[in-house]
Amino acid sequence: MPKRFDQARPFLTLALVVLGWLLVPVAVKLFTRASFFELQAPLTVAASYARDLQDYWTLRLHSNSELIEAGRDLARLNASYEEAVQQNLSLQAEIARLEELLKLPAYAHYRSEHARVVRRDFSGWWQQLVIRKGRNFGIPVGAPVIFAGGVVGRVSEVYAYTAVVELISDPSVRLAAVVEGENQPISFQGGVNTSFDAPKGVIEFVPLNVYASPTMPKRLVTSGLGGVFPPGLNLGTIIKVEPSLDGLYKSGEVQLDPRLSALTEVTVLVPLNEQ
Amino acid sequence: MATNDTNLADRSGSLVESHKSYQPRVIFFYFVVFGLLAILAGGLAYQQLFNTERHRENERMQNQRRILVPGPRGNIYDRYGRMLVGNRPRFAVVLYLDELRSEFINEARVIRRNYAEAGDKDLPTRDQFNQIARVSVVQRYLDQVNQILHRSVKVDGTDLRKHFARQLLLPYTLIDDLEPAEYAKLVEGLPVRSPLQVYASSTRYYPYGSSLAHTLGYVGVETEITAEDFPGEDLKTFKMKGTIGRDGLEKVFDTRLQGEAGGSIFRVSPAGYKINPPLEKRLPVQGKNLTTSIDIDLQRTAEDAIEKIAGDDMIGSAVALDVKTGEVLVMASKPDYDLTRFTPRPSHDTIADIEARKAWANRAISSAYPPGSTFKILTSIAAMRCGAIQPDEPIVDCEGRLHKFNRDFVCYNGKGHHGEVLLPDAIADSCDIFFYEAGWRTSANRTPEVLAAEARRFHLDRKTGIELPHETGRMLIPDAAYKEKVRGEKWYPGDTANMAIGQGDVLVTPLEMACFVASVARNETYTRPTLLHRDDAPVQHTELIGLTPKQREALLAGMEGCVTHGTAAKTLALPEFQIPGIRFGGKTGTAQIPGSKNVAWFITFAPIDNPQIAVAVAIEGDTPNEEYGGGRYAAPIAALILKRYFEKRDHPPAFVAPAQSE
Repeated sequence: MPKRFDQARPFLTLALVVLGWLLVPVAVKLFTRASFFELQAPLTVAASYARDLQDYWTLRLHSNSELIEAGRDLARLNASYEEAVQQNLSLQAEIARLEELLKLPAYAHYRSEHARVVRRDFSGWWQQLVIRKGRNFGIPVGAPVIFAGGVVGRVSEVYAYTAVVELISDPSVRLAAVVEGENQPISFQGGVNTSFDAPKGVIEFVPLNVYASPTMPKRLVTSGLGGVFPPGLNLGTIIKVEPSLDGLYKSGEVQLDPRLSALTEVTVLVPLNEQ
Repeated sequence: MATNDTNLADRSGSLVESHKSYQPRVIFFYFVVFGLLAILAGGLAYQQLFNTERHRENERMQNQRRILVPGPRGNIYDRYGRMLVGNRPRFAVVLYLDELRSEFINEARVIRRNYAEAGDKDLPTRDQFNQIARVSVVQRYLDQVNQILHRSVKVDGTDLRKHFARQLLLPYTLIDDLEPAEYAKLVEGLPVRSPLQVYASSTRYYPYGSSLAHTLGYVGVETEITAEDFPGEDLKTFKMKGTIGRDGLEKVFDTRLQGEAGGSIFRVSPAGYKINPPLEKRLPVQGKNLTTSIDIDLQRTAEDAIEKIAGDDMIGSAVALDVKTGEVLVMASKPDYDLTRFTPRPSHDTIADIEARKAWANRAISSAYPPGSTFKILTSIAAMRCGAIQPDEPIVDCEGRLHKFNRDFVCYNGKGHHGEVLLPDAIADSCDIFFYEAGWRTSANRTPEVLAAEARRFHLDRKTGIELPHETGRMLIPDAAYKEKVRGEKWYPGDTANMAIGQGDVLVTPLEMACFVASVARNETYTRPTLLHRDDAPVQHTELIGLTPKQREALLAGMEGCVTHGTAAKTLALPEFQIPGIRFGGKTGTAQIPGSKNVAWFITFAPIDNPQIAVAVAIEGDTPNEEYGGGRYAAPIAALILKRYFEKRDHPPAFVAPAQSE
């Protein structure tokens, strides 16, 4: 009997722990989860700094000539970006003037907060990033996150020094989009994406007059009507639309930017009125 | 002590039952009990083995529910494939109540506890607790929506109670007909996995607003939708509201436009909530499309012209037909109503406004007017066919007044007298005296039989059979028998004179006159109008009128003279009504409705040498006894339609293939 009890002890212990966990109040569970994440965060952040250091030493292995050449390339890029920034400024001024002239409503303004990606978490159930900025930089839950290729996703959880971003390839992310050149909002939702697949999303309630195919794709951009994302940000490319059986709408498939799964830097748009 | 025990035993001998190991009488009851158990077991076995189907059916009836969803209606297009009526998405935010079962139960428990803690003695009943809990939970979800949309909508408790009682399996609509921006906000604001969802249904979409309103018609709510070949007809069924055509093409072609209903069958819990996934599911299918013969460009031209020339809210109509096929190109009726105000349903104010403006009626088919002088074309044909007049014979000297049959007959057209006119000029100048005389000459025995027979030959005495509801049957070609029967009076020569100029009891609709002039254009007697377009529509061929070439030439010369130097010439000479390079013929008319208003008429076809389009316009004056002439008020409208038609003929629009073939 004692021997048998000894054999069963691990299972009994597990059962007791599970039972105990079930009986713990929800508030304690939430606190524990948050604490766990906060405790884990420094490790994740430290790991990302270690990676940065690793990259640094990798770069140190390059010859001076290579570094000088890279520096020149960078200088050229900087120069072109400087020019682009100047053009953007003048275009923004022109847009502001036209908005004032046409009495258009001004869109919500955002502050850009650039953040480094410290962890990517892709699976069939969720597609998330952890970024190296959190409450310490005033990042709120729900803030849109973008990169050079368009929309990354939106902030779903914020911690002291980190934040979790749900990617637009995550099935639980849904937003109002428009086909470029159209004005009727349609529903975009992340698709069921497995770890190594090219990310994709699905669209619903597409007007019947929208046609798209892999050879004649259409660009899908944010509508700006939902109040979360500013308008005109790239979401992906519509490669397929099919009419629904009831003939009311079409639904389709959107190919997302493959760089979503390899991002190292993103920009969080912090709404100014949130602050 | 032992003694006491013995005494007790003695005393209890009558009370305590003592058993033998074997009791024959009990054996009997064993059999009885065994027999009863056997019956029970047999009954159970019978029910299980032989009544299986019945119980399965009962279980099915008790545990399964069917939901029917109507299919979207088919679209209606014009002859060039432009959508006249379609479906537009209609978004609503709905709450799936079956996902809230535990919340309702918990809420009811909390409310009950609160009442108990408050020591309230006047406790609600169990049903009332449940209702309070439901309203409370639903309001909590509605507040989420309110927060996103910046609204302050409250739950309607009565409506919610009805929904629970009758439509528990259907989602409960919190806010209907969302604006696109609201829809977008909810798409982004609501969690993907939530009992709150944006629900899309369809409602009719009218891209041209009030254009062609009477012809297209509108739809109403239909609750009795059916799904053919979908199983579970005997199950308790919940039906989403569908639509049914109430007027116009929507009504006549309702069966064709109706979509095929879809449906699903769910197993339900004892409380009536559905259990996913469905046991059966079929998606609804859109109804068949309808391609009409209407040219929406011409239609809008006609409607704009009526408003511009006759005035806002004037009563009138214009019909244009393809001469060869009888296809209706234009069917304008004013005043009209804005079909966009019928979705999702017309308000009381909308209906009151339509009634106040008398805008319900499709004047092209429901208003029967005296045709006035446009009838002189028919009088001419009848008189020539029976040999009463010849094209080159001046049958009368019009001095503006003619004394005959002991009374004066007045020529109402022209300030002076027309003199001795021949038929072409009599038509062009619309000389009443000429046609009084022509009428009398056709009736040797002073009855109008020849005129009436000719009118009947052109089918002016009956409905056209157009594919629309509410075509009036009040059109009338009178004769002596009719007058005797209805009024008990004899037919007098004055009646013949009146009939010869389209007055008296003669009544026709604008559509009939359009068919009449199309028939004259083809030199035939009957044109069957249709609102359906076919690319390979056959050319209509009916009985020939039977005029000699000389007679027909005179008739057409008169009609062309009407627009070049006759009663319509003055107005049509204005630059905006000129149609370069096109010769056309017409006839004006000004009909008096006794004791009421005048009706301005104009019938025409073009080109005169190769007829393609025929038009009839009838506009009611708004002031009794006002001089409301066809040349001034009706002819310009027809001219604008013709002008647009020939502009389009030279630059036809590209055909847009409908989204779904018929």
